[in-house]
Amino acid sequence: MKNTINKLFVFFVALLLTNSIVAQEDFKLPEYTKIQLKNGLTIYLMERHEVPLIQFTAVFPAGAVNDVKEKSGLAAVTADALVLGSKNYTKSQIEENTEFLGASISSGAGKESAYLVSSFMKKDQKVVMDILKDVLLNPTFPTDEVEKMVSRKIAEMDQMKESPRSVLSNYYNKFVFGEHPYGNPEEGTKASLQQIQNKDLINFYKEQYNPSKSAIAIVGDFNTKSMKVEVEKLFGAWKSSAKTGNILPDLPVTDKARVLLVNKEDARETTFYIGGPGISRNNPDFVGIRVINTILGGRFTSWLNDELRVNSGLTYGARSSFTPYKLGGTFVISTFTANENTEKTIDLALETYKKLHTKGLDEEILTSAKNYVKGQFPPDYETNSALSILLTDMYIYDFDESYINTFTKQVDALNTQKAAELIQKYFPKDNFQFVLIGKASEIGELAKKYGEVEQLEITNDGF
Amino acid sequence: MKKILLTVLTMHMASMLFSQSKAEDVKSFMLKNGMKVMVLEDHSIPNANMYLFWKVGSRNEYPGITGLSHFFEHMMFNGSKKYGPKMFDRTMEAAGGSNNAYTTENVTVYTDWFPSSSLETIFDLEADRIANLALDSTMVESERGVVLSERSTGLENSNFRNISEEVKASAFSAHPYRWSVIGYESDIKNWSIDDLQRYFDTYYAPNNAVVVISGDVTLAGVKKLASQYFEPIPAQPAPRKIHTVEPEQRGEKRVMVQKQVSTPNVLIAYHVPETQHEDHYALDVLNSVLSSGKSSKLYSYLVDENQYATSVFSYMPESFDPNLFYIYGIAGQDVDAVKLENEILNVIDGVIENGITEKELQKVKNQKLMEFYKTLETIDGKSDTLGTYELYFGDYKKMYFAPEAYEKVTTEDIKRVAKKYFTKNNRTVGVLQNSEPALGEESK
Repeated sequence: MKNTINKLFVFFVALLLTNSIVAQEDFKLPEYTKIQLKNGLTIYLMERHEVPLIQFTAVFPAGAVNDVKEKSGLAAVTADALVLGSKNYTKSQIEENTEFLGASISSGAGKESAYLVSSFMKKDQKVVMDILKDVLLNPTFPTDEVEKMVSRKIAEMDQMKESPRSVLSNYYNKFVFGEHPYGNPEEGTKASLQQIQNKDLINFYKEQYNPSKSAIAIVGDFNTKSMKVEVEKLFGAWKSSAKTGNILPDLPVTDKARVLLVNKEDARETTFYIGGPGISRNNPDFVGIRVINTILGGRFTSWLNDELRVNSGLTYGARSSFTPYKLGGTFVISTFTANENTEKTIDLALETYKKLHTKGLDEEILTSAKNYVKGQFPPDYETNSALSILLTDMYIYDFDESYINTFTKQVDALNTQKAAELIQKYFPKDNFQFVLIGKASEIGELAKKYGEVEQLEITNDGF
Repeated sequence: MKKILLTVLTMHMASMLFSQSKAEDVKSFMLKNGMKVMVLEDHSIPNANMYLFWKVGSRNEYPGITGLSHFFEHMMFNGSKKYGPKMFDRTMEAAGGSNNAYTTENVTVYTDWFPSSSLETIFDLEADRIANLALDSTMVESERGVVLSERSTGLENSNFRNISEEVKASAFSAHPYRWSVIGYESDIKNWSIDDLQRYFDTYYAPNNAVVVISGDVTLAGVKKLASQYFEPIPAQPAPRKIHTVEPEQRGEKRVMVQKQVSTPNVLIAYHVPETQHEDHYALDVLNSVLSSGKSSKLYSYLVDENQYATSVFSYMPESFDPNLFYIYGIAGQDVDAVKLENEILNVIDGVIENGITEKELQKVKNQKLMEFYKTLETIDGKSDTLGTYELYFGDYKKMYFAPEAYEKVTTEDIKRVAKKYFTKNNRTVGVLQNSEPALGEESK
């Protein structure tokens, strides 16, 4: 692969490079219908007829932020277990009936919400939606199936740690959020998973799965009017006595640079984040921040990738990204390099980042980044799945379609002066938080240079 | 369910298919220099893409230049006559486009995604690097570092990468599929600019490429730009054919890799024919029967019912020459490699002895249809799949007839190919674990 840097944000544009003014139609979100059922459940319906498929995405306020420490991982186990059996369908019926149709059903939990997702052919709507209804409204959490799943998750905890890349964000979140619920690892720990019993799932479901705080987005080849009737029939029956909405405490503030060194004895490279506080998903400056981050570390020619990869050959890729949640989020620079190049690479990353504050952005680079994000925007919303996730994200994070419909305008409105203000306001200047996964005997000394060092063994349980 | 009902259901779906998208929607033309171009207009978003498939991959290498196809994929971004070092990416990104590329055992593929208004810029950029690549020694040196890092981070983060390199190296003794696409570390460090130049002259000729463009473009517009930018690039003599045929394997091969892991990994690989072989569709269906979804044979038996593994997959790459069918499992807690291997083989033996049910076969056909629709959902899926069919199946139109081809597969075919290829003599077994078990140690 030339690179694996994920596409960040994008936009639609029509001209550039030439000075000709082409009449340009902004990329608009396709029309959709939003309704609320009597039980408070929010429904989004968006018709799309290009292929005879339907996508179903449901979200619930039942993410890892609701976990308690002793039973960390319970949110994820409960969400995963929705499809392990329901009143009218056994686990194997759920799997066989959907897979036979080429359809899929999956569920899980992230930091702030849990989800149930399904993809099926139009002609199979009735069969699949009846299963979806039953797993959501009447899950049975059968003991034997739950136990099997939990024991598999325990084995996977150690397996995950064989790939530093796959656990880095867990260590980082725990390190910067600490005891705040945002520090809760979604997967839990081996010790906490061992504490989880079937009755915990039943209680968690009762307490957290609440229609008035949940949403379902259905996108694809259907008729809105009849789908509305169908949805009311199926999901209008969802009753719940769940308590609503945990109030989360404020995020912790750090006043010094700190380093978490995670020792992996057989590491030949150091995989690391350098970060600081980020933004919430509904931040009004979200789009502008994305454009600036594109220049810093959000595309192939970004400053970080250019310096660390193209100019120096120290790494296969370097990037920066904001991960936004409801209350705030994280900002990180991420890359990896051979053990012996660790110090050089961290220093170069810091030096490159610093230019954002000392040098700022000129007109030319800003124009290029604006064109880039606009040009890459429409393909992000090309599939039923992407659109259904956008709709449920709007619900969870409290933003609306103006994000899409005014995207081009917002990008165009960004000038160098505004960009300088955003950099000053949102891109951390000091007190960086470092997480390095690597071989402590080779990088332990140099780590001290960057802040107060805390060391963990990767083989220890948890993060 | 009865077989007849299933068949009717599938025919119904096949007919629905034709109302969605047709082979006739794809237009293709050949430039005078032998470059084939395919165009699929789709105006659903104001974007387009260009996929360039080059018929060169690690199978075209030899010891001393292993990994060169992949390294070349990187060098194609490092400067040409009009657009010097860095200018390819800078120009494309400033025009709202992005790109990537990948290399396999068989092909090297370059992918550009852009607002359709930038189509001409993309043609200009691609034509310049195809016609006038300038190999800059400074860029070559820094790119060696990038590729060594890419190689190292793959090994650092993926157990599969570690074990599959060894299994390939053991399964093939003659054919160039025996080395990994990324190549040996010593070759990455030592190949010369001359090696690169020779590779470019031989393989990056327009007659060795297939171009697919999908999205918000017109056939006429693409034709005009293709003849302006691509057609003047001269054709070259056809590259030497890869004539090495892997000799028949005459006994099971076994390979062991020691690495710190919490549970062992087992990879079993069987020699299977090339994609254009008549057994391809049956093997592909068998692949899905084994590991596609939670109700698949391997997953339900190994992961779900018995906890012998925490995860399992099977995989058969598209291939110009006969290649491998891989089955990979990561052991569950307290399950040793011998046990996991035996249980995987139990599932395989079950297929050889008892075949599969009509329902399992129909499930896979339905899954294939679903996959096909998902492919058609994006302009990306369209270009990628059209190119894949053109190269590996010999004709892009076969993409549209894939549901029919799968429909012809019977449960008897599955049993026959399982029996034919999944033999002990034809397999290589790889184990990745902490240390070799002591002699005489029994499995649990």
